Amino acid sequence: MASIARKNLFEDIPRFLVAQAGIMFAVSLVTIQLGVLKGFTRSTALLVDHSNADLWVASKEMVHLELTSSMPVEQVVRAQKVPGVERAEALIIRSSIWRNASGQITPIRIFGFSPNSRIFAGWDVPQGSLSDLKQPYTVMVDQSSLRNAGLSKVGDQGNIGSLPARLVGLSLSTQSIASSVFVFTSLENATAYSTAGLNTSVNCTRNSEGNLACTNTFENAPLNASPVTPPTPRTLNLADPISYVLIRAQTGENLIQLKQRLEAALPNVRVYTQAEIASQTRTYWTERTGVGFILGLGAAVGFIVGMVIVGQILYASVSDHLREFGTLKAMGASNWVIYSVILEQALWMAVLGYLPSMALCIGLGAWTQAAKGIMILITPATGGGIFVLTVAMCVGSALFAVQKVTRVDPAIVFKA
Amino acid sequence: MTATQIDVLQRVGSQATSTLTRKSKPKVDTLAPEDCGVIAAESSRAIAARGVGMVYQSSGERFQALKGVDLDVKRGDIQLLMGPSGSGKTTLLSILAGILTPTQGNVRLLGEDITRLSSSKLAQFRLQNIGFIFQGFNLFPALTALENIEVALKLKGIRGSIARKEAYGLLEQVGLADKAKQHPQDLSGGQKQRVAIARALAGNPQLIMADEPTAALDSHNGHAVIELLRNLAKEKGRTVLIVTHDPRIIDVADNVAYLEDGMLQAN
Repeated sequence: MASIARKNLFEDIPRFLVAQAGIMFAVSLVTIQLGVLKGFTRSTALLVDHSNADLWVASKEMVHLELTSSMPVEQVVRAQKVPGVERAEALIIRSSIWRNASGQITPIRIFGFSPNSRIFAGWDVPQGSLSDLKQPYTVMVDQSSLRNAGLSKVGDQGNIGSLPARLVGLSLSTQSIASSVFVFTSLENATAYSTAGLNTSVNCTRNSEGNLACTNTFENAPLNASPVTPPTPRTLNLADPISYVLIRAQTGENLIQLKQRLEAALPNVRVYTQAEIASQTRTYWTERTGVGFILGLGAAVGFIVGMVIVGQILYASVSDHLREFGTLKAMGASNWVIYSVILEQALWMAVLGYLPSMALCIGLGAWTQAAKGIMILITPATGGGIFVLTVAMCVGSALFAVQKVTRVDPAIVFKA
Repeated sequence: MTATQIDVLQRVGSQATSTLTRKSKPKVDTLAPEDCGVIAAESSRAIAARGVGMVYQSSGERFQALKGVDLDVKRGDIQLLMGPSGSGKTTLLSILAGILTPTQGNVRLLGEDITRLSSSKLAQFRLQNIGFIFQGFNLFPALTALENIEVALKLKGIRGSIARKEAYGLLEQVGLADKAKQHPQDLSGGQKQRVAIARALAGNPQLIMADEPTAALDSHNGHAVIELLRNLAKEKGRTVLIVTHDPRIIDVADNVAYLEDGMLQAN
């Protein structure tokens, strides 16, 4: 049985293609905006997602993963003694400047962790190995950040502050779109980089209760004091600043109870589960910055543009076929039959606009991820949601056209 | 034009010529109010209009298109509505077809007072009982000849292979079986009108309403269409109401009603 809707739609192929191009533009705009928003949001906490830590011990002032106050290494020792903790490790996050071999500078975020375990570094290492980071002044960067850091391959050299840095490996899917280039290194190297150009001294005194109270002092070194060959990074002491203590709980341990025990044992900290710290980080970037609003606005504009385009196309189509709709009405077709023709047209337009748009966006997302490290995240749920949105957009637009055909006078059929 | 088409047109044309040379004088519609209420007469009437008036109002101006029109058409008759342009013929046709609601009077079609029906019931009544033929053909250009008829059948709840078979049979009746897959733009004016007639016959309606069915056709095709309309009434028992300026149709008509200034004139 012939479908008037389908036949009318495909009657004029050039016009149909122009219409579909408009719908594809709108669907792609919505998909890319939402994909970038989701990709952006996800990327801000990728490191948390990849980690194998059950709990994250952070300063009470922590805002998001990369914005927190320091705590001393001593907290790691204390945490390790809390019942239920299998292993506690330090994580250092610092900001610095990367200078490549040609002198180009780039802001970076240094992540110092223990290369001996995979509690923090749960991500894939496509080139090199984590154990290479045990060597002095060695680093890894995300595969997608090579160009941003002015690097081309493993083995390239650069400087962080006044200290050398040699690229010994690459990480995969670790870079946040929202942040500077992530540089991964050992705790010792990270401490050395963060204190490069500073002289440090530790002063300890015994208080009246017999406990040691230590203070780390950092002073700018004289400009001519920087040695040509830097010393091997020193081992961390109890007073060195770190950003987080990562906890792996013993098997079967109740994490809620362990959280409470850790918060009681460690002063001035708050303990987060992996999901909690990831959520807090993502919420910060989407709600406390304008990024979520701007990308959401872009998606909304795409939706509105799509509605206008589809609305115009369907309205024009109905106007062109008004006599045919009048004929159907005169013959005795119910309003619902007329509406179903228009709605079927809208659904065809939605499906035939959605499929190529989605293919285009998935291809574009793969390219931006590979070339720029920018993730356009289109999950099955996102794809499904955008399909529903596309159908809603087309059907909503069809209502304009339905209004026109509702008012058509069937007596129009008797006008030659 | 294929040999089959020429043959069909010649066959239809010769029949039409013999009809047009018929000597019988067409009856003129005369109003017979005294017949109202007679059950036997009612049952023999396909169309009964009483005191039908139509007033259009636009921008505060009032225009009376029809004034107290009474009209009876017997089942199986061919009734012509003639008159000068602007006399109200199309308005009367629209009212008698249940497309327009009169501002005065009432209309009974096949015994049903259609002026009392709701718009949805009226649409249902049209669907079941009336076939339409238009001056501009009003075929769906995106559909083939066969599909145009299938659409009408689908509206009436006939679908699938049954609809296809019936649509093909109707095309055969109008001599266009070989044009089933053609789109309207590939057909001549006469062929389009024959497809439109086949569509009007879909679902076997009792009433056929035709608006200037031969106006856009040349003499040869006009005769062919007139013959088809005559066959509908005389061989298939359909009641055919035709608005026309075409004097060629008068010879096949049972009744001719003349309208002037919105009023029915005896002729």
